[in-house]
Amino acid sequence: MSITQEKGIDALFKKNPLENEYVDFSRLTALVIDDISAMRHAVRSQLHSLGLNAVKVASNAAEALVQVQSNAFDLILCDYNLNKSSSGQHFLEYLRNENILNATTIFVMLTAETEYSFVANAVEFIPDDYLLKPCSEKKMRARLERLIDRRTFLLPVLKAIDAKEYDAAVVACDKLLVVAPDDRRMMEVLKRKTEAQLALHDYERVLETYEKAAALRADVPWVMMGLARTHYGRGELEEAAKIARSLIEKSPNYVAAYELLAKISQETDDDEGAFELLSRSSIILPSAKRFRSVSQAAFLMGKLEEAKSNSEEAIRLSSGSMVERSGDYLSLAQTLVDMGDHKGAIETLEKTARKHGDVGIFGVAKGAILAQAYFESGDREKAKKLVERSKSLMANRKNSFVMTALGKAALKVGDVMLGLKLMTEAVQVSGKDQKRIARHVKKSMVDTGHNEKVEDVIDGGKKRILLLVDEANKLMRSAHFAEANEKVLEALDIQGENLEALMTAAQLHLLWLKHKGVDDEIVGRAKSYLIMLDKLVPNNQKVMNFYRFFNEIVSE
Amino acid sequence: MQHSLSALVAHDIKNALALLEIDLEQLNHRSDVPIEGARAYRRCVELKSRLIGFLTLYKYDQSGLNPLIYEVDLMDFLEELIMNSPSVVMPEVYQGAPLSVQVDRDRICVDAACSHAGVGFFDENLLELALESVLNNAVRYAHHQISLWYEQDAEVLVFKVLDDGESAADISGSPGEKEKSASTGLGLALCKAVAEVHGAGAIQLERVAGGGMLFSMTLRQVTCHNHN
Repeated sequence: MSITQEKGIDALFKKNPLENEYVDFSRLTALVIDDISAMRHAVRSQLHSLGLNAVKVASNAAEALVQVQSNAFDLILCDYNLNKSSSGQHFLEYLRNENILNATTIFVMLTAETEYSFVANAVEFIPDDYLLKPCSEKKMRARLERLIDRRTFLLPVLKAIDAKEYDAAVVACDKLLVVAPDDRRMMEVLKRKTEAQLALHDYERVLETYEKAAALRADVPWVMMGLARTHYGRGELEEAAKIARSLIEKSPNYVAAYELLAKISQETDDDEGAFELLSRSSIILPSAKRFRSVSQAAFLMGKLEEAKSNSEEAIRLSSGSMVERSGDYLSLAQTLVDMGDHKGAIETLEKTARKHGDVGIFGVAKGAILAQAYFESGDREKAKKLVERSKSLMANRKNSFVMTALGKAALKVGDVMLGLKLMTEAVQVSGKDQKRIARHVKKSMVDTGHNEKVEDVIDGGKKRILLLVDEANKLMRSAHFAEANEKVLEALDIQGENLEALMTAAQLHLLWLKHKGVDDEIVGRAKSYLIMLDKLVPNNQKVMNFYRFFNEIVSE
Repeated sequence: MQHSLSALVAHDIKNALALLEIDLEQLNHRSDVPIEGARAYRRCVELKSRLIGFLTLYKYDQSGLNPLIYEVDLMDFLEELIMNSPSVVMPEVYQGAPLSVQVDRDRICVDAACSHAGVGFFDENLLELALESVLNNAVRYAHHQISLWYEQDAEVLVFKVLDDGESAADISGSPGEKEKSASTGLGLALCKAVAEVHGAGAIQLERVAGGGMLFSMTLRQVTCHNHN
C-alpha cells in the first residue's frame, strides 16, 4: 500500500478500484438510529453514497424496535447516546435478551469519545463494532466492508441460526473450521458453534467447544463466561463460580459474571452475597432490569430502604420506555406498605391508574396492595371491600406474586382461611421461581403474625405433589397407566416443573408404550416430557437411560 | 463558564462540524465541484479531527479513557490508516515533490515468542486517532517518504512511523521548503494518553542518523479482550 501525495485530495473521492468488488452495498438494507434528526439524515446520506438504497431511520429505541420487528435489516447503525433514560447499549441488550435481533444483522454502535468510559468492557452483549462518531464516509466504507466480509464468511451458520436449525448450524461451523484462514476467523466460528450448541442444550459438546476456544485465545471474556455458564448448567456450581470470579478479576466491569455469581449465591442461600453482587452490577451498568433484581433481593432480605430506592431507580430508568414494567409500581407499593408508609403506597398505586388502568392481573394485585395500605391507615372497611373485589377479579388466575399480595391482604383484614389458602397456592404454582416465592410467602406470613403456619403453607404443595406421585407410581406398577397419568397431571398442575412428577410422567409413558405398542399420541407426550427433563436436568443419567429406552421402543 | 456547559458547547460545535463535513463530502461527490469545495472539505475535516483529538484528551484528563480492546489485523489496520488518513490523502501542503506514504513490510519484525503474529489487541478507534496525528506531523516535515511498520513480541506491540524530514526542533524559526503551520503539541499528548491506557504503554520520538524523525508507540498486549 502506498499513497502518494501527488494524488492529493482527489484520492479521497476516488474509490479504490479494488473496493466494492465483492461488497454490493446496493442490495443491503439498513436502519439508522439517532436522536438528533440532522445526524441521522447525515448518516443516511453517507449510506446512500455508499450505494445503499433501502435505509430507514428511527429517532429512539421504541421506534427502532418497531422497525426491527417488522424488517430483517442487514445493518443497524445505532447511536450510543439515544436519550437520558435509554442508551444504545440498553437497546442492544434488549434485542439480544428478547432474541429479536437476527444473527445475520450487523449491529454497529456509534459512540462519541466522551462515552467511552461507559461502554468499555462493561457488558456481555457487545455490538459487531464500535465507530467513533462522527465518522467519514471513507472510514465507514472500510469498516462496513470488513464487517460484511466477516458476515459473508459466516453466512451459512448465521442463516441456520436464524432459521433455528441449530443442528445444521453446528454442521456448518465444522465445515468452516476446516477452511478458516486464521485464528481470528476460527474464534468467530467457535463462538457461533457454542451459541448453536447451547440452543441444543448440548452441554457436553459445548464444553469441548469452549475449551477449544480457550486453547486458541486464553482469557477471552465470552469464552470464560461460556465456560462458567456451562458448568453452572451442569450443576457444577463451584467450578462455575471460580471461573466467574477469575473473569471479574480480569474484567472488573463484566456484569454478566456478577449476575451469574449472584445466581449461584442465591442458590447456595448466601443472600447477602447475592445482594452485594447484584448491587455492584447495577452500579457498573445501570438498567431497570438490574435495579429490579436488586430491589427483589433486598425486599426478601427485609432491607426495605434498599428495596425502595432500587424500585424507584427501576421506575425512573424505564418510565415511558419499552422496558417499563407495571410490576415495578406494585413492588414499590408493597415495600412502602411494609415500611409503614401507607400514604406513599396509595399515592404510588394511584399514579399507575393513569398508565396501567385497573384491569387484569395488575388490577387484582393493585387492589390487594391498596387493601393492605388502607388497612394500615385505619380504614378497615375499605380494606375488606378491596380484598373482596380482588378475590372476585382473581377468578382462576394463578400468579404467585398476586396470590401472595392478596393472601397478605386477607391475613391483615382477618380472613385467615383465604389468606392461608392463597399463600399455599402461591407456592404450589410458583414453578421454577419456587424458592423466591416461598421466601416472599414466608415474609408475608411473618409480617402478619402467622409464623407458626409457615411450614405447613410452604410444604403444603410439596406434600401434596409427593402424595400424588406416590399414587401414580403404584398405579403404574399395576399397569393402570391412564389412571396413573391422571395423578401425574394433577401433580404437574400444582407445579409444572416438579422433577419427581416429570420423571414419573416420562417413565409411565415409556412403560405404557412398551405395554401397548407404539401410539402416536403417547409417543408425542413421552417425547415432550423427555425434552422438559433434558432442559431441567441436562446430562442426567436417568434421563439418558429414558432416552435410550424411548429410542429402542420407537425403532422397534 | 461551568464545566458541563463548556462540554455541551464543545460537543455541539463538534456535531455541527461533523454535519458540515458530511454536507461537503456529499458536495464533493459532484463532478462539477470547484476546487474551493474540496479545500473547504479538507479544512473542515482537519478542524473536526483536531477537535475530536482535543475532546479525547480532555476526557482522558477528566475521567480517563477505557479502551475497547479488540483483536485487530495489523496489516489491515495500517493500510486502512493510510488510506483513510486526511493528512495523507489531502495534506495541507500538497504542492512540491511527490510524497510516498507506505507500510514498510521489510521492517516488520515479529519475535518468535509472539504467539499471535500479525494481530494486535488494542482499541482501533483510539489508535487511529493517535496515529493520524502522528501522520499529520510527519506529512508536514517529510521530504519524500513516510514509512510505517510494527514490531511485536510476546508482551508488547510497537508501532513505528519514520519520516525523512528534519526534526521539528531544527525547523522552528528557519524558513523551510514547505510552509509549516504551528503545531499545538496536542498530537503527542494524545498519543501519550492513548499509549498509557493500553497497559501503561509509552511513546518515543527520536532523531535518526541521516535526518528524519522516528516515532514509536509501545502498547502492552493485555490478554483479556473483547472479541467480536
